[in-house]
Amino acid sequence: MLSFGARTRGFVVAALLPATLLYLVFVIVPLLWSAYYGFYDWKGMGAAKYIGFDNYLEVFKDPLFWRAFKNNMIIVAASILGQVPIALGLALVLRKATWFRRFVRTAVFMPMVLSSVVVGMIWGYVYHPQIGILNSLLETLGLNSWEREWLSDPSIAMYSLSVPIIWNYIGPFLIMFIAALQNIPEEINEAAKMDGVRPFRKLFTITFPMIWDTFKVIIVLCISGSLKEFDFIYVMTGGGPAHSTELMATYMYNNTFSVYRFGYGSAVSTMIIVLSLALVLVSQILMKKKNP
Amino acid sequence: MNVAANGLSTTSPKGKSFIVKSKNGIVTAVLAVYAVVTLYPLIWLMLSAFKTNADFAHPFAIPKVWHWENLQKAWTVSHMGTAMVNSIIVTTVALALTLVLGALAAYVLSRFQFKFKVLIMGFFLLGMLIPIHSTLVPLFILMNKIHMLNTYPALILPYVAFQLPIAIFIATAYMSTFPKDIEEAAFVDGMGYWGIFWKIILPLASPALATVAILSVLRFWNEFSFALVFISKASLKTVPLSLSVFANGYGTDYKLTMAAMAISVIPTIAVYLLFSEKIMKGMTAGAVKG
Repeated sequence: MLSFGARTRGFVVAALLPATLLYLVFVIVPLLWSAYYGFYDWKGMGAAKYIGFDNYLEVFKDPLFWRAFKNNMIIVAASILGQVPIALGLALVLRKATWFRRFVRTAVFMPMVLSSVVVGMIWGYVYHPQIGILNSLLETLGLNSWEREWLSDPSIAMYSLSVPIIWNYIGPFLIMFIAALQNIPEEINEAAKMDGVRPFRKLFTITFPMIWDTFKVIIVLCISGSLKEFDFIYVMTGGGPAHSTELMATYMYNNTFSVYRFGYGSAVSTMIIVLSLALVLVSQILMKKKNP
Repeated sequence: MNVAANGLSTTSPKGKSFIVKSKNGIVTAVLAVYAVVTLYPLIWLMLSAFKTNADFAHPFAIPKVWHWENLQKAWTVSHMGTAMVNSIIVTTVALALTLVLGALAAYVLSRFQFKFKVLIMGFFLLGMLIPIHSTLVPLFILMNKIHMLNTYPALILPYVAFQLPIAIFIATAYMSTFPKDIEEAAFVDGMGYWGIFWKIILPLASPALATVAILSVLRFWNEFSFALVFISKASLKTVPLSLSVFANGYGTDYKLTMAAMAISVIPTIAVYLLFSEKIMKGMTAGAVKG
Protein backbone atom coordinates (compact mmCIF):
# COMPACT_ATOMS: atom_id res chain seq x y z
CA MET A 1 0.00 0.00 0.00
CA LEU A 2 0.94 3.61 -0.44
CA SER A 3 2.68 5.65 2.21
CA PHE A 4 0.21 7.56 4.30
CA GLY A 5 1.52 11.08 4.67
CA ALA A 6 -0.27 14.35 5.24
CA ARG A 7 -0.65 14.80 1.50
CA THR A 8 -2.43 11.49 1.18
CA ARG A 9 -4.65 12.28 4.11
CA GLY A 10 -5.55 15.59 2.48
CA PHE A 11 -6.53 13.81 -0.73
CA VAL A 12 -8.57 11.15 1.03
CA VAL A 13 -10.56 13.77 2.90
CA ALA A 14 -11.03 16.02 -0.12
CA ALA A 15 -12.15 13.15 -2.35
CA LEU A 16 -14.51 11.61 0.16
CA LEU A 17 -16.01 14.78 1.59
CA PRO A 18 -18.43 15.93 -1.16
CA ALA A 19 -20.14 12.53 -1.51
CA THR A 20 -20.28 12.00 2.24
CA LEU A 21 -21.66 15.47 2.94
CA LEU A 22 -24.35 15.20 0.29
CA TYR A 23 -25.32 11.75 1.55
CA LEU A 24 -25.40 12.94 5.16
CA VAL A 25 -27.47 16.05 4.46
CA PHE A 26 -30.03 14.45 2.13
CA VAL A 27 -30.29 10.89 3.44
CA ILE A 28 -29.06 10.40 7.00
CA VAL A 29 -29.94 13.71 8.65
CA PRO A 30 -33.53 13.66 7.29
CA LEU A 31 -34.00 10.23 8.84
CA LEU A 32 -32.94 11.49 12.25
CA TRP A 33 -34.97 14.63 11.75
CA SER A 34 -38.01 12.57 10.91
CA ALA A 35 -37.68 10.69 14.16
CA TYR A 36 -37.44 14.04 15.96
CA TYR A 37 -40.46 15.63 14.27
CA GLY A 38 -42.41 12.59 15.37
CA PHE A 39 -42.38 14.06 18.88
CA TYR A 40 -44.32 17.16 17.80
CA ASP A 41 -47.86 18.04 16.96
CA TRP A 42 -47.37 20.21 13.94
CA LYS A 43 -49.39 21.23 10.89
CA GLY A 44 -46.40 22.21 8.76
CA MET A 45 -46.72 25.86 9.64
CA GLY A 46 -47.12 27.81 12.86
CA ALA A 47 -45.90 26.58 16.20
CA ALA A 48 -44.95 22.95 16.76
CA LYS A 49 -46.04 21.55 20.09
CA TYR A 50 -43.92 18.93 21.84
CA ILE A 51 -46.12 15.98 22.71
CA GLY A 52 -43.58 13.31 23.65
CA PHE A 53 -44.37 9.81 22.44
CA ASP A 54 -48.03 10.51 21.63
CA ASN A 55 -47.59 10.28 17.84
CA TYR A 56 -45.63 7.05 18.11
CA LEU A 57 -48.18 5.57 20.49
CA GLU A 58 -50.92 6.60 18.10
CA VAL A 59 -49.16 4.86 15.20
CA PHE A 60 -48.99 1.70 17.29
CA LYS A 61 -52.73 1.83 17.97
CA ASP A 62 -53.73 3.05 14.50
CA PRO A 63 -55.67 0.28 12.72
CA LEU A 64 -55.16 2.04 9.37
CA PHE A 65 -51.40 1.98 9.77
CA TRP A 66 -51.42 -1.74 10.50
CA ARG A 67 -53.74 -2.31 7.58
CA ALA A 68 -51.21 -0.48 5.42
CA PHE A 69 -48.45 -2.62 6.91
CA LYS A 70 -50.45 -5.74 6.12
CA ASN A 71 -50.81 -4.55 2.51
CA ASN A 72 -47.04 -4.04 2.35
CA MET A 73 -46.65 -7.59 3.59
CA ILE A 74 -48.96 -8.82 0.82
CA ILE A 75 -46.53 -7.24 -1.64
CA VAL A 76 -43.57 -8.83 0.15
CA ALA A 77 -45.31 -12.21 -0.12
CA ALA A 78 -46.19 -11.60 -3.77
CA SER A 79 -42.58 -10.71 -4.51
CA ILE A 80 -41.08 -13.68 -2.72
CA LEU A 81 -43.67 -16.22 -3.92
CA GLY A 82 -44.17 -14.66 -7.36
CA GLN A 83 -41.03 -12.93 -8.56
CA VAL A 84 -38.45 -15.30 -7.12
CA PRO A 85 -39.82 -18.59 -8.57
CA ILE A 86 -40.61 -17.03 -11.96
CA ALA A 87 -37.21 -15.34 -12.15
CA LEU A 88 -35.43 -18.53 -11.11
CA GLY A 89 -37.40 -20.69 -13.54
CA LEU A 90 -36.67 -18.31 -16.38
CA ALA A 91 -33.00 -18.08 -15.39
CA LEU A 92 -32.64 -21.88 -15.57
CA VAL A 93 -33.81 -21.91 -19.19
CA LEU A 94 -32.38 -18.56 -20.28
CA ARG A 95 -28.91 -19.19 -18.89
CA LYS A 96 -27.37 -19.92 -22.25
CA ALA A 97 -27.53 -16.95 -24.59
CA THR A 98 -28.93 -17.58 -28.03
CA TRP A 99 -30.45 -14.63 -29.88
CA PHE A 100 -33.96 -15.79 -29.00
CA ARG A 101 -33.14 -16.15 -25.33
CA ARG A 102 -31.46 -12.78 -25.34
CA PHE A 103 -34.66 -11.34 -26.81
CA VAL A 104 -36.74 -12.92 -24.02
CA ARG A 105 -34.36 -11.50 -21.41
CA THR A 106 -34.66 -8.07 -22.98
CA ALA A 107 -38.46 -8.33 -22.95
CA VAL A 108 -38.61 -9.47 -19.34
CA PHE A 109 -36.37 -6.63 -18.23
CA MET A 110 -38.27 -4.02 -20.26
CA PRO A 111 -40.77 -2.90 -17.56
CA MET A 112 -37.82 -1.90 -15.37
CA VAL A 113 -36.82 0.87 -17.74
CA LEU A 114 -40.29 2.43 -17.77
CA SER A 115 -41.28 5.02 -15.24
CA SER A 116 -43.40 3.45 -12.52
CA VAL A 117 -45.96 6.17 -13.20
CA VAL A 118 -46.33 4.86 -16.74
CA VAL A 119 -46.42 1.25 -15.55
CA GLY A 120 -49.11 2.17 -13.02
CA MET A 121 -51.16 3.97 -15.62
CA ILE A 122 -50.87 1.20 -18.20
CA TRP A 123 -52.07 -1.35 -15.66
CA GLY A 124 -54.79 1.03 -14.53
CA TYR A 125 -56.11 0.66 -18.08
CA VAL A 126 -55.54 -3.09 -18.17
CA TYR A 127 -57.87 -3.36 -15.17
CA HIS A 128 -60.28 -0.68 -16.38
CA PRO A 129 -63.88 -1.94 -15.98
CA GLN A 130 -65.02 -0.65 -19.40
CA ILE A 131 -62.04 -0.39 -21.73
CA GLY A 132 -59.68 -2.72 -19.88
CA ILE A 133 -57.94 -5.57 -21.69
CA LEU A 134 -58.46 -8.00 -18.84
CA ASN A 135 -62.26 -7.90 -18.70
CA SER A 136 -62.38 -7.82 -22.47
CA LEU A 137 -60.19 -10.91 -22.63
CA LEU A 138 -62.42 -12.73 -20.14
CA GLU A 139 -65.46 -11.82 -22.21
CA THR A 140 -63.82 -13.10 -25.39
CA LEU A 141 -63.04 -16.37 -23.63
CA GLY A 142 -66.66 -16.63 -22.48
CA LEU A 143 -65.70 -16.19 -18.84
CA ASN A 144 -68.03 -13.25 -18.24
CA SER A 145 -68.67 -14.32 -14.66
CA TRP A 146 -65.00 -13.74 -13.88
CA GLU A 147 -65.16 -10.08 -14.84
CA ARG A 148 -64.49 -7.81 -11.91
CA GLU A 149 -64.02 -4.24 -10.87
CA TRP A 150 -60.39 -5.13 -10.32
CA LEU A 151 -59.26 -1.94 -8.63
CA SER A 152 -62.41 -0.65 -7.00
CA ASP A 153 -63.48 -3.86 -5.27
CA PRO A 154 -61.78 -3.57 -1.86
CA SER A 155 -61.65 -7.33 -1.38
CA ILE A 156 -59.44 -7.94 -4.44
CA ALA A 157 -57.84 -4.55 -5.21
CA MET A 158 -54.64 -5.33 -3.31
CA TYR A 159 -54.17 -8.61 -5.17
CA SER A 160 -54.81 -6.91 -8.51
CA LEU A 161 -52.11 -4.41 -7.63
CA SER A 162 -49.62 -7.14 -6.77
CA VAL A 163 -49.58 -8.40 -10.37
CA PRO A 164 -48.01 -5.32 -11.99
CA ILE A 165 -45.53 -5.15 -9.13
CA ILE A 166 -44.48 -8.74 -9.79
CA TRP A 167 -44.39 -8.07 -13.54
CA ASN A 168 -42.24 -5.00 -13.07
CA TYR A 169 -39.38 -6.45 -11.01
CA ILE A 170 -38.80 -9.92 -12.45
CA GLY A 171 -36.15 -8.57 -14.84
CA PRO A 172 -33.41 -7.63 -12.37
CA PHE A 173 -33.88 -10.83 -10.36
CA LEU A 174 -33.68 -12.86 -13.55
CA ILE A 175 -30.36 -11.22 -14.42
CA MET A 176 -29.01 -11.81 -10.91
CA PHE A 177 -30.00 -15.49 -11.02
CA ILE A 178 -28.43 -15.93 -14.45
CA ALA A 179 -25.21 -14.36 -13.15
CA ALA A 180 -25.22 -16.70 -10.18
CA LEU A 181 -25.88 -19.77 -12.34
CA GLN A 182 -23.08 -18.84 -14.71
CA ASN A 183 -20.77 -18.56 -11.73
CA ILE A 184 -21.14 -22.24 -10.85
CA PRO A 185 -17.89 -23.87 -11.97
CA GLU A 186 -18.39 -26.13 -14.99
CA GLU A 187 -16.46 -28.98 -13.27
CA ILE A 188 -19.24 -29.32 -10.71
CA ASN A 189 -21.84 -29.84 -13.42
CA GLU A 190 -19.51 -32.27 -15.17
CA ALA A 191 -18.89 -34.22 -11.97
CA ALA A 192 -22.62 -34.44 -11.27
CA LYS A 193 -23.17 -35.78 -14.76
CA MET A 194 -20.42 -38.37 -14.33
CA ASP A 195 -22.03 -39.53 -11.09
CA GLY A 196 -25.35 -39.81 -12.89
CA VAL A 197 -27.17 -37.31 -10.69
CA ARG A 198 -30.65 -36.73 -12.06
CA PRO A 199 -31.47 -33.15 -13.14
CA PHE A 200 -34.21 -32.62 -10.56
CA ARG A 201 -32.00 -33.86 -7.74
CA LYS A 202 -29.10 -31.82 -9.01
CA LEU A 203 -31.25 -28.72 -8.78
CA PHE A 204 -31.83 -29.21 -5.05
CA THR A 205 -28.52 -30.69 -3.97
CA ILE A 206 -26.10 -28.71 -6.12
CA THR A 207 -27.60 -25.76 -7.93
CA PHE A 208 -29.66 -24.21 -5.11
CA PRO A 209 -26.94 -24.42 -2.46
CA MET A 210 -24.46 -22.92 -4.94
CA ILE A 211 -26.65 -19.87 -5.54
CA TRP A 212 -27.80 -19.48 -1.94
CA ASP A 213 -25.99 -16.16 -1.49
CA THR A 214 -27.85 -14.70 -4.46
CA PHE A 215 -31.11 -15.94 -2.93
CA LYS A 216 -30.28 -14.08 0.23
CA VAL A 217 -29.56 -10.85 -1.62
CA ILE A 218 -32.76 -11.19 -3.66
CA ILE A 219 -34.92 -11.84 -0.60
CA VAL A 220 -33.51 -8.72 1.04
CA LEU A 221 -34.21 -6.74 -2.13
CA CYS A 222 -37.76 -8.16 -2.22
CA ILE A 223 -38.39 -7.04 1.33
CA SER A 224 -36.79 -3.62 1.13
CA GLY A 225 -38.26 -2.98 -2.33
CA SER A 226 -41.78 -3.97 -1.26
CA LEU A 227 -41.67 -1.72 1.78
CA LYS A 228 -40.59 1.18 -0.44
CA GLU A 229 -43.54 0.82 -2.83
CA PHE A 230 -45.43 4.02 -3.46
CA ASP A 231 -45.63 5.21 -7.09
CA PHE A 232 -47.81 2.41 -8.51
CA ILE A 233 -50.36 2.70 -5.75
CA TYR A 234 -50.39 6.47 -5.82
CA VAL A 235 -51.12 6.45 -9.54
CA MET A 236 -53.52 3.49 -9.68
CA THR A 237 -55.69 3.84 -6.57
CA GLY A 238 -54.19 6.50 -4.30
CA GLY A 239 -54.64 4.01 -1.45
CA GLY A 240 -58.39 3.62 -1.95
CA PRO A 241 -61.11 2.52 -2.08
CA ALA A 242 -61.65 3.07 1.64
CA HIS A 243 -57.93 2.54 2.43
CA SER A 244 -58.08 -1.01 1.07
CA THR A 245 -54.86 -0.51 -0.90
CA GLU A 246 -53.18 1.85 1.51
CA LEU A 247 -49.45 1.21 1.93
CA MET A 248 -47.26 2.61 4.68
CA ALA A 249 -45.74 5.11 2.25
CA THR A 250 -49.10 6.30 0.85
CA TYR A 251 -50.48 6.52 4.38
CA MET A 252 -47.51 8.67 5.35
CA TYR A 253 -47.99 10.80 2.25
CA ASN A 254 -51.71 11.29 2.81
CA ASN A 255 -51.26 12.18 6.47
CA THR A 256 -48.55 14.68 5.72
CA PHE A 257 -49.48 16.33 2.46
CA SER A 258 -53.26 15.89 2.33
CA VAL A 259 -54.37 16.39 5.95
CA TYR A 260 -51.20 18.24 7.03
CA ARG A 261 -50.33 16.21 10.08
CA PHE A 262 -46.58 16.64 9.66
CA GLY A 263 -45.73 15.32 13.10
CA TYR A 264 -47.81 12.19 12.66
CA GLY A 265 -46.50 11.68 9.12
CA SER A 266 -42.97 11.86 10.47
CA ALA A 267 -43.73 9.26 13.11
CA VAL A 268 -45.10 6.98 10.36
CA SER A 269 -41.92 7.59 8.31
CA THR A 270 -39.77 6.56 11.22
CA MET A 271 -41.86 3.43 11.72
CA ILE A 272 -41.34 2.53 8.03
CA ILE A 273 -37.56 2.65 8.49
CA VAL A 274 -37.64 0.72 11.75
CA LEU A 275 -39.92 -1.98 10.32
CA SER A 276 -37.88 -2.24 7.10
CA LEU A 277 -34.58 -2.69 8.88
CA ALA A 278 -36.16 -5.08 11.38
CA LEU A 279 -37.61 -7.27 8.63
CA VAL A 280 -34.35 -7.31 6.69
CA LEU A 281 -32.51 -8.28 9.85
CA VAL A 282 -34.99 -11.06 10.69
CA SER A 283 -34.78 -12.46 7.16
CA GLN A 284 -30.98 -12.46 7.39
CA ILE A 285 -31.04 -14.37 10.67
CA LEU A 286 -33.58 -16.88 9.37
CA MET A 287 -31.60 -17.52 6.20
CA LYS A 288 -28.32 -17.84 8.05
CA LYS A 289 -29.78 -20.77 9.99
CA LYS A 290 -31.09 -22.48 6.90
CA ASN A 291 -27.83 -22.05 5.03
CA PRO A 292 -26.84 -25.59 4.00
CA MET B 1 -28.10 -30.39 -22.43
CA ASN B 2 -26.95 -31.18 -25.96
CA VAL B 3 -23.75 -32.77 -24.67
CA ALA B 4 -25.79 -35.20 -22.60
CA ALA B 5 -25.72 -37.93 -25.26
CA ASN B 6 -22.74 -39.88 -23.97
CA GLY B 7 -22.04 -43.57 -23.34
CA LEU B 8 -23.85 -43.61 -19.99
CA SER B 9 -27.19 -43.01 -21.60
CA THR B 10 -29.36 -46.07 -22.14
CA THR B 11 -31.70 -44.57 -24.70
CA SER B 12 -30.63 -44.74 -28.30
CA PRO B 13 -28.98 -41.59 -29.66
CA LYS B 14 -31.81 -41.09 -32.12
CA GLY B 15 -34.62 -41.27 -29.53
CA LYS B 16 -32.70 -39.07 -27.13
CA SER B 17 -32.17 -36.31 -29.63
CA PHE B 18 -35.88 -36.42 -30.49
CA ILE B 19 -36.82 -36.00 -26.82
CA VAL B 20 -34.31 -33.17 -26.37
CA LYS B 21 -35.56 -31.48 -29.50
CA SER B 22 -39.25 -31.58 -28.61
CA LYS B 23 -38.42 -30.53 -25.06
CA ASN B 24 -36.54 -27.55 -26.44
CA GLY B 25 -39.49 -26.81 -28.69
CA ILE B 26 -41.88 -26.69 -25.74
CA VAL B 27 -39.50 -24.49 -23.75
CA THR B 28 -39.14 -22.14 -26.68
CA ALA B 29 -42.89 -21.93 -27.16
CA VAL B 30 -43.49 -21.23 -23.47
CA LEU B 31 -40.79 -18.58 -23.51
CA ALA B 32 -42.25 -16.94 -26.60
CA VAL B 33 -45.70 -16.80 -25.00
CA TYR B 34 -44.19 -15.41 -21.82
CA ALA B 35 -42.32 -12.71 -23.73
CA VAL B 36 -45.45 -11.68 -25.62
CA VAL B 37 -47.55 -11.53 -22.45
CA THR B 38 -44.84 -9.46 -20.80
CA LEU B 39 -44.63 -7.05 -23.69
CA TYR B 40 -48.35 -6.92 -24.45
CA PRO B 41 -49.29 -4.03 -22.14
CA LEU B 42 -46.63 -1.98 -23.90
CA ILE B 43 -47.70 -3.05 -27.38
CA TRP B 44 -51.29 -2.21 -26.44
CA LEU B 45 -50.17 1.22 -25.24
CA MET B 46 -48.41 1.93 -28.53
CA LEU B 47 -51.40 0.85 -30.61
CA SER B 48 -53.86 2.74 -28.41
CA ALA B 49 -51.97 5.98 -28.89
CA PHE B 50 -53.27 6.08 -32.47
CA LYS B 51 -56.92 5.24 -31.77
CA THR B 52 -60.06 7.30 -31.33
CA ASN B 53 -61.83 7.20 -27.98
CA ALA B 54 -64.60 5.12 -29.56
CA ASP B 55 -62.05 2.48 -30.65
CA PHE B 56 -61.40 1.66 -27.00
CA ALA B 57 -64.59 -0.37 -26.93
CA HIS B 58 -62.56 -3.06 -28.71
CA PRO B 59 -59.29 -3.03 -26.80
CA PHE B 60 -57.57 -5.72 -28.86
CA ALA B 61 -58.31 -4.24 -32.27
CA ILE B 62 -55.66 -2.53 -34.32
CA PRO B 63 -56.65 1.09 -35.08
CA LYS B 64 -58.64 1.30 -38.35
CA VAL B 65 -57.26 4.74 -39.06
CA TRP B 66 -53.92 5.73 -37.54
CA HIS B 67 -54.46 9.07 -35.82
CA TRP B 68 -50.99 10.57 -35.78
CA GLU B 69 -52.41 13.88 -34.64
CA ASN B 70 -53.04 12.29 -31.21
CA LEU B 71 -49.34 12.47 -30.55
CA GLN B 72 -49.16 16.12 -31.46
CA LYS B 73 -52.18 17.04 -29.36
CA ALA B 74 -50.93 15.04 -26.38
CA TRP B 75 -47.55 16.74 -26.67
CA THR B 76 -49.24 20.16 -26.40
CA VAL B 77 -51.80 19.31 -23.72
CA SER B 78 -49.27 17.68 -21.40
CA HIS B 79 -46.64 20.40 -21.95
CA MET B 80 -44.36 17.53 -22.81
CA GLY B 81 -41.76 19.84 -24.39
CA THR B 82 -41.20 21.71 -21.13
CA ALA B 83 -41.28 18.47 -19.17
CA MET B 84 -38.67 16.87 -21.45
CA VAL B 85 -36.35 19.89 -21.12
CA ASN B 86 -36.72 19.78 -17.33
CA SER B 87 -36.10 16.06 -17.21
CA ILE B 88 -33.04 16.43 -19.45
CA ILE B 89 -31.57 19.21 -17.26
CA VAL B 90 -32.20 17.38 -14.00
CA THR B 91 -30.99 14.04 -15.34
CA THR B 92 -27.81 15.45 -16.91
CA VAL B 93 -26.66 17.47 -13.92
CA ALA B 94 -27.52 14.72 -11.45
CA LEU B 95 -25.70 12.20 -13.63
CA ALA B 96 -22.53 14.30 -13.84
CA LEU B 97 -22.49 14.82 -10.08
CA THR B 98 -23.17 11.16 -9.36
CA LEU B 99 -20.35 10.02 -11.63
CA VAL B 100 -17.72 12.46 -10.37
CA LEU B 101 -18.56 12.28 -6.66
CA GLY B 102 -19.24 8.56 -6.76
CA ALA B 103 -16.03 7.76 -8.66
CA LEU B 104 -13.92 9.90 -6.33
CA ALA B 105 -15.38 8.28 -3.23
CA ALA B 106 -15.04 4.83 -4.79
CA TYR B 107 -11.40 5.52 -5.70
CA VAL B 108 -10.56 6.42 -2.12
CA LEU B 109 -12.59 3.56 -0.65
CA SER B 110 -11.09 0.96 -2.98
CA ARG B 111 -7.43 2.02 -3.12
CA PHE B 112 -6.53 3.55 0.26
CA GLN B 113 -6.33 2.26 3.80
CA PHE B 114 -7.55 4.56 6.54
CA LYS B 115 -9.23 4.50 9.90
CA PHE B 116 -12.99 4.75 9.32
CA LYS B 117 -13.02 3.10 5.91
CA VAL B 118 -15.19 0.10 6.81
CA LEU B 119 -17.55 2.32 8.75
CA ILE B 120 -17.99 4.78 5.87
CA MET B 121 -18.46 1.96 3.37
CA GLY B 122 -21.12 0.34 5.56
CA PHE B 123 -22.73 3.69 6.01
CA PHE B 124 -23.13 4.12 2.26
CA LEU B 125 -24.37 0.55 1.81
CA LEU B 126 -27.10 1.18 4.38
CA GLY B 127 -28.45 3.78 1.95
CA MET B 128 -29.61 1.04 -0.42
CA LEU B 129 -32.09 -0.20 2.20
CA ILE B 130 -33.57 3.18 3.12
CA PRO B 131 -37.00 3.92 1.66
CA ILE B 132 -36.77 7.37 0.12
CA HIS B 133 -40.28 8.16 1.35
CA SER B 134 -39.04 8.26 4.90
CA THR B 135 -37.07 11.37 4.01
CA LEU B 136 -39.85 13.18 2.14
CA VAL B 137 -41.27 15.08 5.12
CA PRO B 138 -38.01 16.35 6.62
CA LEU B 139 -36.58 17.18 3.19
CA PHE B 140 -39.76 19.05 2.32
CA ILE B 141 -39.47 21.05 5.55
CA LEU B 142 -35.76 21.68 5.05
CA MET B 143 -36.25 22.84 1.47
CA ASN B 144 -39.18 24.98 2.46
CA LYS B 145 -37.00 26.73 5.05
CA ILE B 146 -34.13 27.46 2.69
CA HIS B 147 -36.50 28.30 -0.21
CA MET B 148 -35.33 25.44 -2.36
CA LEU B 149 -38.76 24.02 -3.26
CA ASN B 150 -39.57 24.47 -6.94
CA THR B 151 -35.94 24.66 -8.07
CA TYR B 152 -33.80 22.21 -10.02
CA PRO B 153 -31.46 21.54 -7.06
CA ALA B 154 -34.49 20.38 -5.03
CA LEU B 155 -34.52 17.33 -7.29
CA ILE B 156 -30.86 17.07 -8.30
CA LEU B 157 -29.33 16.97 -4.81
CA PRO B 158 -31.58 14.25 -3.33
CA TYR B 159 -31.34 12.22 -6.57
CA VAL B 160 -27.54 12.23 -6.35
CA ALA B 161 -27.54 11.51 -2.63
CA PHE B 162 -29.78 8.47 -3.07
CA GLN B 163 -27.90 7.19 -6.12
CA LEU B 164 -24.44 7.47 -4.52
CA PRO B 165 -24.68 4.17 -2.58
CA ILE B 166 -25.25 2.04 -5.68
CA ALA B 167 -22.71 4.08 -7.70
CA ILE B 168 -20.04 3.68 -5.02
CA PHE B 169 -20.92 0.00 -4.62
CA ILE B 170 -20.45 -0.83 -8.31
CA ALA B 171 -17.40 1.42 -8.85
CA THR B 172 -15.58 0.23 -5.71
CA ALA B 173 -16.05 -3.40 -6.67
CA TYR B 174 -14.57 -2.69 -10.09
CA MET B 175 -11.67 -0.48 -8.99
CA SER B 176 -10.55 -3.03 -6.38
CA THR B 177 -9.65 -5.35 -9.24
CA PHE B 178 -7.01 -2.98 -10.72
CA PRO B 179 -3.41 -4.14 -10.19
CA LYS B 180 -1.76 -2.59 -7.16
CA ASP B 181 1.22 -1.07 -8.91
CA ILE B 182 -0.77 1.43 -11.03
CA GLU B 183 -0.33 4.24 -8.54
CA GLU B 184 3.29 3.40 -7.85
CA ALA B 185 4.25 3.63 -11.51
CA ALA B 186 2.46 6.96 -11.85
CA PHE B 187 4.18 8.28 -8.73
CA VAL B 188 7.55 7.55 -10.26
CA ASP B 189 6.43 9.71 -13.17
CA GLY B 190 5.72 12.50 -10.69
CA MET B 191 1.93 12.38 -10.89
CA GLY B 192 -0.23 13.45 -7.92
CA TYR B 193 -3.37 11.67 -6.69
CA TRP B 194 -5.69 13.99 -8.60
CA GLY B 195 -3.70 13.37 -11.76
CA ILE B 196 -3.85 9.63 -11.18
CA PHE B 197 -7.59 9.82 -10.57
CA TRP B 198 -8.44 11.85 -13.68
CA LYS B 199 -5.88 10.40 -16.09
CA ILE B 200 -5.63 6.77 -15.04
CA ILE B 201 -8.41 5.58 -12.73
CA LEU B 202 -11.35 7.24 -14.49
CA PRO B 203 -10.50 5.92 -17.97
CA LEU B 204 -9.78 2.45 -16.59
CA ALA B 205 -13.04 2.41 -14.65
CA SER B 206 -15.14 3.52 -17.61
CA PRO B 207 -16.95 0.17 -18.07
CA ALA B 208 -18.19 0.24 -14.48
CA LEU B 209 -19.00 3.94 -14.73
CA ALA B 210 -20.96 3.32 -17.93
CA THR B 211 -23.13 0.88 -16.00
CA VAL B 212 -23.58 3.37 -13.19
CA ALA B 213 -24.46 6.03 -15.77
CA ILE B 214 -27.16 3.94 -17.45
CA LEU B 215 -28.77 2.87 -14.18
CA SER B 216 -28.65 6.48 -12.97
CA VAL B 217 -30.18 7.92 -16.11
CA LEU B 218 -33.08 5.47 -15.97
CA ARG B 219 -33.66 6.21 -12.31
CA PHE B 220 -33.44 9.99 -12.58
CA TRP B 221 -35.57 10.13 -15.71
CA ASN B 222 -38.33 8.04 -14.13
CA GLU B 223 -38.27 9.36 -10.57
CA PHE B 224 -41.66 10.39 -9.25
CA SER B 225 -41.99 10.84 -5.47
CA PHE B 226 -39.49 13.65 -4.97
CA ALA B 227 -40.80 15.48 -8.00
CA LEU B 228 -44.36 15.10 -6.75
CA VAL B 229 -43.57 16.64 -3.38
CA PHE B 230 -40.87 19.20 -4.18
CA ILE B 231 -42.19 20.59 -7.46
CA SER B 232 -45.56 22.26 -7.88
CA LYS B 233 -44.69 24.90 -10.47
CA ALA B 234 -45.93 23.84 -13.92
CA SER B 235 -42.80 25.15 -15.66
CA LEU B 236 -40.54 22.85 -13.61
CA LYS B 237 -42.47 19.58 -13.88
CA THR B 238 -40.57 16.51 -15.04
CA VAL B 239 -41.95 13.90 -17.45
CA PRO B 240 -43.43 11.44 -14.91
CA LEU B 241 -44.96 14.31 -12.97
CA SER B 242 -46.61 15.87 -15.99
CA LEU B 243 -47.94 12.43 -16.97
CA SER B 244 -49.46 11.84 -13.56
CA VAL B 245 -51.83 14.70 -14.35
CA PHE B 246 -53.48 12.31 -16.81
CA ALA B 247 -53.98 9.72 -14.08
CA ASN B 248 -57.04 11.64 -12.92
CA GLY B 249 -57.46 14.88 -14.90
CA TYR B 250 -57.95 13.45 -18.38
CA GLY B 251 -59.21 10.07 -17.18
CA THR B 252 -61.75 9.65 -19.96
CA ASP B 253 -59.76 11.05 -22.88
CA TYR B 254 -58.10 7.69 -23.34
CA LYS B 255 -56.42 8.41 -26.64
CA LEU B 256 -54.65 11.52 -25.34
CA THR B 257 -53.47 9.77 -22.20
CA MET B 258 -52.15 6.86 -24.23
CA ALA B 259 -50.44 9.15 -26.72
CA ALA B 260 -48.75 11.14 -23.94
CA MET B 261 -47.54 7.93 -22.30
CA ALA B 262 -46.31 6.58 -25.63
CA ILE B 263 -44.27 9.73 -26.23
CA SER B 264 -42.79 9.57 -22.76
CA VAL B 265 -41.65 5.94 -22.98
CA ILE B 266 -40.00 6.18 -26.40
CA PRO B 267 -36.75 7.81 -25.17
CA THR B 268 -36.24 5.29 -22.35
CA ILE B 269 -37.01 2.35 -24.58
CA ALA B 270 -34.56 3.65 -27.18
CA VAL B 271 -31.82 4.05 -24.58
CA TYR B 272 -32.62 0.62 -23.25
CA LEU B 273 -32.49 -1.13 -26.61
CA LEU B 274 -29.18 0.59 -27.41
CA PHE B 275 -27.58 -0.38 -24.13
CA SER B 276 -29.47 -3.47 -23.02
CA GLU B 277 -26.40 -5.75 -23.11
CA LYS B 278 -24.49 -3.22 -21.03
CA ILE B 279 -27.34 -2.90 -18.53
CA MET B 280 -27.50 -6.67 -18.10
CA LYS B 281 -23.72 -6.83 -17.64
CA GLY B 282 -23.86 -4.08 -15.06
CA MET B 283 -26.62 -5.87 -13.16
CA THR B 284 -24.56 -9.05 -13.35
CA ALA B 285 -21.47 -7.35 -11.92
CA GLY B 286 -23.51 -6.01 -9.03
CA ALA B 287 -25.12 -9.38 -8.41
CA VAL B 288 -21.91 -11.36 -8.37
CA LYS B 289 -20.21 -8.99 -5.95
CA GLY B 290 -23.30 -8.92 -3.73
